[in-house]
Amino acid sequence: MLKDIRTMIFMALLVGLALAISLFESVIPIPFVAPGAKLGLSNIVILVTLVVFGFRRALIVACLKSVLLMLVTGSVSSMFFSLAGALFATTVMGIAYFKVSRKVFSLIGVSILGAVAHNFGQLSVAYIVMHNPYVYSYLPVLVLAGLFTGFFVGLSGRYVTANLKQHFPQKEKKAL
Amino acid sequence: MRFMTRGDKILVVLLVVASLFSFWLVKEINSKIDSRYISIQVNGEEYERLRFATSDEPEHYELETQFGRNLVEIGRDYVRVIEADCPDKLDVLQGAITRPGQVIVCLPNRMIIEIRGEAPDGPVIDDTVR
Repeated sequence: MLKDIRTMIFMALLVGLALAISLFESVIPIPFVAPGAKLGLSNIVILVTLVVFGFRRALIVACLKSVLLMLVTGSVSSMFFSLAGALFATTVMGIAYFKVSRKVFSLIGVSILGAVAHNFGQLSVAYIVMHNPYVYSYLPVLVLAGLFTGFFVGLSGRYVTANLKQHFPQKEKKAL
Repeated sequence: MRFMTRGDKILVVLLVVASLFSFWLVKEINSKIDSRYISIQVNGEEYERLRFATSDEPEHYELETQFGRNLVEIGRDYVRVIEADCPDKLDVLQGAITRPGQVIVCLPNRMIIEIRGEAPDGPVIDDTVR
């Protein structure tokens, strides 16, 4: 699948970057808004992978990031939350980016959708674990927080991809 | 490349409106659901289940059993005994109870009043998973 060694190395770099950002992010507490709300900075990496390398590789990066994060932090339970959120977010972002016309959503919109999907995925795991549908009542708070973080993630994703696309121009056509 | 497309703006507005609305909805539902009830037990068995008063005007419930007589006052968020024929009147002196798990006991009359159910502000968290 990864024939091009340059791409392969870059993918490894992306996974490492996502891992480092997630780790860093799990250390800084967010004083305002609700507990459980995170900056979602590692979503920048997944968004960039999605745009530059396509949907499948974004999924790979998302999975690897979640699994490796479990190995680094040692909390297995949070891996299921992270994995579900990341997979769901990547899928939704992939659909929003590749299946919907580019004129409708810019990267900011795609990233906000991803943030919302991430929250939804995580809460769904929480629902499965706790058998309590009331966990979804937390969604509005997370969505509001995700709007802000998603906005800035999309903004930074735009600047990063603008540069990266010049170096990896080939993957634009085949995706999803 | 424009800063934000029209789709983005619509998406943001939609999400804000939807989340604010469901925020309000959740609040509204939560305030209506009150799982608390008052359990009155006599001689170790549940004798009566009562709801809290729905208005500010307290309701009165007279408990008359073979062991004695107590007059219970039930407010919107409290229960207390205002009259009793027991000798020490400890249940009257105890005053009102308001939270789930609290009890009023009148030993001579073998009566226990207990608030049961979940607290409206949620259960106390004893563990979190990260």
